[in-house]
Amino acid sequence: MIIKHKDRIASPEIVKAGFDDLGYVCSEAIAMAVYLACQLQKPILVEGPPGVGKTELAKKTAEYLGAPLIRMQCYEGLDESKALYEWKYGKQLLYTQVLKDQLGDVMRGAKGLDESVERLQQFGDIFYSEQFLETRPLLQALREDDGAILLIDEIDKSDQEFEAFLLELLSEYQVSIPEIGTIKATSKPIVFLTSNNTRELGDALKRRCLHLYIPFPDPKLESQIIASQVPEMAENLRKQLVNFVAELRDMALKKEPAISESIDWARALMLLNVDELEVQWVKDTLNLLLKYQDDIEVVEPELNRLVRGLK
Amino acid sequence: MQQVIGDFIHALRQAGLPVSPAETLDAVNTASLVGLDNRLVLKTALGLTVAKTQENKLQYDHVFDQFFHFAAQDMAAQETDDALEQDGTDISTAEPLISENSNQDSSLVDGSSLVEDSPLADTLQSPLAQQLMQGDQAAMSVAIAGAGNAVGVNQMQMFTQKPLFTFRIMQQMGMDALNQELRELSQQEENQSLVQLLKTRRNLLREQVQDFVEQQYALFAQAEGKKLRDSNLQKVRFTLVDYQSYDRMTGLVRKAAKQLASLHSRRRKVTKRGMLDVRKTIAANAAYDGVLFHTKWKSTRIDRPKIVAICDVSGSVSRVARFLLLFLYSLQDVLPRVRSFVFSGAMGEVTEYFEQDDLETAMTKVMEGWANRSTDYAMALSDFENLALDDIDNKTTVIMLGDARNNNGDGNVKVWEQVYRRSNRVLWLNPEGRGSWDTGDSIMADYAPYCTQVESCNSLRDLTRILSGLLKNS
Repeated sequence: MIIKHKDRIASPEIVKAGFDDLGYVCSEAIAMAVYLACQLQKPILVEGPPGVGKTELAKKTAEYLGAPLIRMQCYEGLDESKALYEWKYGKQLLYTQVLKDQLGDVMRGAKGLDESVERLQQFGDIFYSEQFLETRPLLQALREDDGAILLIDEIDKSDQEFEAFLLELLSEYQVSIPEIGTIKATSKPIVFLTSNNTRELGDALKRRCLHLYIPFPDPKLESQIIASQVPEMAENLRKQLVNFVAELRDMALKKEPAISESIDWARALMLLNVDELEVQWVKDTLNLLLKYQDDIEVVEPELNRLVRGLK
Repeated sequence: MQQVIGDFIHALRQAGLPVSPAETLDAVNTASLVGLDNRLVLKTALGLTVAKTQENKLQYDHVFDQFFHFAAQDMAAQETDDALEQDGTDISTAEPLISENSNQDSSLVDGSSLVEDSPLADTLQSPLAQQLMQGDQAAMSVAIAGAGNAVGVNQMQMFTQKPLFTFRIMQQMGMDALNQELRELSQQEENQSLVQLLKTRRNLLREQVQDFVEQQYALFAQAEGKKLRDSNLQKVRFTLVDYQSYDRMTGLVRKAAKQLASLHSRRRKVTKRGMLDVRKTIAANAAYDGVLFHTKWKSTRIDRPKIVAICDVSGSVSRVARFLLLFLYSLQDVLPRVRSFVFSGAMGEVTEYFEQDDLETAMTKVMEGWANRSTDYAMALSDFENLALDDIDNKTTVIMLGDARNNNGDGNVKVWEQVYRRSNRVLWLNPEGRGSWDTGDSIMADYAPYCTQVESCNSLRDLTRILSGLLKNS
């Protein structure tokens, strides 16, 4: 892709600093992945538990590089007519109806079938041309003149056939449309694929991508993230909150609280004017952190111990 | 640099990471982009290009640390300077070779500083002796690595080759010339302290080379030996697997099961084939005035089989039963509906054990509860008739594991015939070889007519083959 601000991807450190300014605090590995993806023109496959900022990474990259973000959400049954292109059947139908009368004029004076067919052929395949092509996200990303950030979200939710279909796009940055031919990218997009690991992705797909695993952040990083997202929070409370969440992640839970949940919780605590974590407050707001009743039941009896441990 | 990355990739592959040639190219590009100077940066950058699962990332970290060990040592040497000053007695490490440390070292090295000043040290002829006297550890490491490359140390395959390669590397570095010179020097009285020093340093060098070979072995050859052992274990008869290999065998079974599961994890659908689904097609094209642009086809889902596993856990069969059950429950992802029964005399259902406990505990419970009684197929089968015969339908696959040795009793074949008629498929796995069927009290021939498939199954390889066939044809 044509990157307008070449200086912004000069080194991983610059990328990291730039992301910091945008309010996305990231680890070295993440900055390195973005740097390599820009420099080597390779897609990034981002894996990790839900809520650690996989999708956000693509959004921030788009913002940082000043490029349009094109997002495609994957789901079971997604096929190329929804992801790549479709013919505008309705329009085609309408045009054939309208043009029917025109045909008479064109044919007038033609002698015999041969001549009629010849005349018709002069018009080419008007109905399968660009005008009748409805572009879907993938094609749109290839056609952006200055390149784009293409986010293929939750690739693991799509079918295996679709994954195979992506291979050509990811390695050659081109797609084949039977009626028109091969369409090459005007400017190669930077591709982010995200996955929650609900199923194992194919080796062929992985081979074509850089692989970035975003784990839950360590307390220090998480504290920085919350500081940038909820700046009005006092440092003392932030520390308590981060440690509390880290404790929760060590417990055997169905779904551990992710960063997005800690941020939500931090916002809620600010809204409630809490200065210090107390058992009652935590109990009342626990459902922001834990999304299963089972998990809440596991944690509640431990609350006293956990909160006391923070002080 | 390409050489370094190439060797590193080789080491990764030995450790079991599947790195493709395309990824190797990526790695080289990445390395040339970020440079080799910063170890941490290089580690993250290469990690992004070659390790593509979490498990692989752990392995990658390990191999990276091992492979770039020497670089780390240089950095560490500076940090440990202070520490060494206090405990300078430890000569067995390679550290005393660093000149600034050697001054603070024990009596022997104290002597060296005297010798180093003497003009004698400059008269040394052989290049290795000069190198030793300079005592530059980084240069020495490079020299060892160079000699290692020259003798092809990364081709090492067995641990028995370690001394051989140590010797070859020493030779390559010019050990002969050094020894020759030492012999000549030692004839003159005034050179004694120099000879002594050189000899100590030579021994230190040998230790260093040994460490190097050890490290190279760990990088390039250890995995090779493990692979050999694993492939042997796959072929060995279950009944002969000794207790020491149980853990390893369990690991192998799980691995094989995982491979099978990922191969068959796809829910297969037959679409765009067969009958046109008129109702869906009309609905899909209502928007186009009923002109049929989109066609919809009837699709059939190919369902996974329901599996009923019956295991004889008496005597020698119990070991095979252990691995069969382990295998079946490791396949949980692709075979979610497994019911298991065990018997030697009476039969009982043990599905719950496997749902509640981990495999090991469940196996122990099963063995305690049912194993080691005299075999009675008639009783077992009539128990089965009461327990589960009514649940067997045309989607069920029944797997029986047993040697059909019935202590000369009646076989109760009638029940087995019913099982055969009701189920989709009946597999009989017999741990004995075909040659010994129907000898002695074995009544395999009575049951065989009521089985879709009768197989001799005695090693992990057999088991993988049979279960793979089961998944493929379902």
